[in-house]
Amino acid sequence: MTTPAIDARRLTKRYGDIAVVDDLSLEIAPGEIYALLGLNGAGKTTTIRMLLGMVRPTSGEATVLGTTLRPGVHTVWSRVGYLVETPAAYPELTVAENLAVAARLRGLRARRHVDDVIDRLRLTPYARQRAGTLSLGNAQRLGLAKALLHKPELLILDEPANGLDPAGVAEIRDLVLELSREHGVTVLVSSHILTEVARLATRVGIIDRGRLVREFAADHLAQHVQRRLSLSVRDRESAEKALLTAGHQPVRTEGDVIVLTDSRAVGEPEAVVTVLVAAGCPPYRLVVEQDDLETLFLRVVQP
Amino acid sequence: MINALATEFLKARRSRVPWVTALAFTVVALVGGLFMFILQDQGRARSLGLLGAKAALVGGDADWPTYLSFLAQATAVGGMVVFGLVEIWVFGREFSQHTAKDLLALPTARVTIVAAKFAVVVGWCLALVVQLLLLGLVIGALLGLPGWSAAAALGGLVRIGGIAVMVALLTTPIAFAASAGRGYLPGVGVLISAVFCAQIVAALGYGQYFPWSVPALFSGLAGPEQSTPGGLGVTLVLLAGVAGAVATGIWWRQADQDR
Repeated sequence: MTTPAIDARRLTKRYGDIAVVDDLSLEIAPGEIYALLGLNGAGKTTTIRMLLGMVRPTSGEATVLGTTLRPGVHTVWSRVGYLVETPAAYPELTVAENLAVAARLRGLRARRHVDDVIDRLRLTPYARQRAGTLSLGNAQRLGLAKALLHKPELLILDEPANGLDPAGVAEIRDLVLELSREHGVTVLVSSHILTEVARLATRVGIIDRGRLVREFAADHLAQHVQRRLSLSVRDRESAEKALLTAGHQPVRTEGDVIVLTDSRAVGEPEAVVTVLVAAGCPPYRLVVEQDDLETLFLRVVQP
Repeated sequence: MINALATEFLKARRSRVPWVTALAFTVVALVGGLFMFILQDQGRARSLGLLGAKAALVGGDADWPTYLSFLAQATAVGGMVVFGLVEIWVFGREFSQHTAKDLLALPTARVTIVAAKFAVVVGWCLALVVQLLLLGLVIGALLGLPGWSAAAALGGLVRIGGIAVMVALLTTPIAFAASAGRGYLPGVGVLISAVFCAQIVAALGYGQYFPWSVPALFSGLAGPEQSTPGGLGVTLVLLAGVAGAVATGIWWRQADQDR
C-alpha cells in the first residue's frame, strides 16, 4: 500500500473556546492535486500551517511524506515546498539573493538551482532587482520560486494565484499541472479562485468553520452538481399552471423565468416545450443549466 | 550551521543597520575625544565656542585612564541601546517583514537559525567594540593624551571588551521579546524598560543584584567609591543571557507560528 503524501487524522486546533480547525481528517495520495476550498476564516491556512509543523494541533496528528510531525522534526522539509499566505521576501536583497538565502537554508549550494528556478518562473528580468521594489505579481512568483527551488515531492500552496494577472494564473496552473503529471509532485492547494481549482485539482475538499464538509474527485464533479431547466415565457401564470398539470414542479420563478429541477424536465426539455406550446405559451428561451463549482461550494457551506 | 550563518551574514551585510550602528559608536568615540579636548584646556574650548563662557566641565583629567573609562561607560550604557537594537532588528524583522514563515519548515532546524542569528549579533557587537577601541586609540593619540602605559591601556581595553560581552549577553531577552512579540515594538519596550530599570536599581544601591545594572557598575559609572559587582554580578549576567538565548530557541522551536 502506498504511503499517503499527507495523512491528517482528526486534526483540531482550538484557541480558547474557538475551534479554528475541528476534527479534520485528510488523506492525499502521492501525485494528487488536492484543492482545499473555503471561505475566509474557514480554517484553510491554519490547516496548512499544521501540515507544515508551524502550528501544533490541539489534538490529532499529521504525517507528511511518512514523517509524523512533532516539534523539532525538520529533515522532511527538504522534500516539501510551500507558500503560505502572502509572499514575503527580504526587501533589501535582490530576487536572486532572496533565492540564494532560501537555497542555502535548504542545503543547496549550487548556483544552478537559483538560475533554473528564476528561468522557470520567468523572473530573469528581475533577478537583480531588489525584492522590495517588485510588483505584487512578481513577489508572488518569487514566493513560488522559493517553494519550487529544491524540486519538492510535495508542494503546499496557500492561495498561489493571489496578485497574479490572468496570464500569470494560467501560467502557474500549467506549471503545477506539469509538476504533477511529469514529475509526480503531490500538490495541496488552497484557493478562492474556484474556476482555477476546477481546472487544476484531481480532488476537492470543502472546509467550512474548521470542518471538512465535503470531499469529491474533480472528475466526479458532475455527480455533485445540480442541473436545472430554465425557461422564459411571455405568460408565466398560464405556463406554471400547464407545467403543474403536466406533473412538473416549478421551484423558482422570477419575472418571466421559470426554473424546473425535476429529473424528467431536465432530462426531456423537449417534452416541456410540447406542454407549453400545447398550452399556448411557448417559451422564447430554454436552457439546461448546471451548478458551477462556485454555486456548488456556496450550496455546501451555506445550506 | 554554516549555511544559516552565511544567510544571516548576507542579510545583515545588505542592510543599512550595520552602518547606522557603526555611526553611533563613531559618535561615542568622537564625543569622548571632544570631552578630552575640552578637559585638556577649558579656556581654549571656551575661545573655540565648544564650552559656554561661564561653563566648566568636571569629571576627571584629560588622560588615557579617564578616556578609556569614558569609553567603558559608554559601552555599558550606549552599548545596551545599540546592541539591543541590533538584536531587535535581527529577530524582529522576520516578523515585521513576514519572512519568519519562510524559516519554519526547512531542513535547517529552527534552533540552528536562532543560533546563527545570535552568532551574527555577537560578531556584530564585537566588531562595533573593536571599532570603538581602534577609534579611541587613534583619537587619544591625536589628542596626545598623557598617562599612557601599555599595562593600563591593555587593562582598559580588556575592561571595555568584558563589558561589551556582558552587554551583548544581556540583550538575549530582548531577542526573545522581539520573537514572542512578533515584531520590533515589544523588543523596543523591553530594551527601554531594561535601561530604565538598570538606572533606577543602580541608584537605589542594589545594582549588583540586577543583571542590567552590572555592566555600568563594572564600567565605574557609579563612581570610584562604589565597589564592582564581582562574581555574583557576572553570574547573574551569564544567567540572564543564557536564559534569554534558551527561551528564544525554545520559543522558535515550540510556539505556534500562526501569523
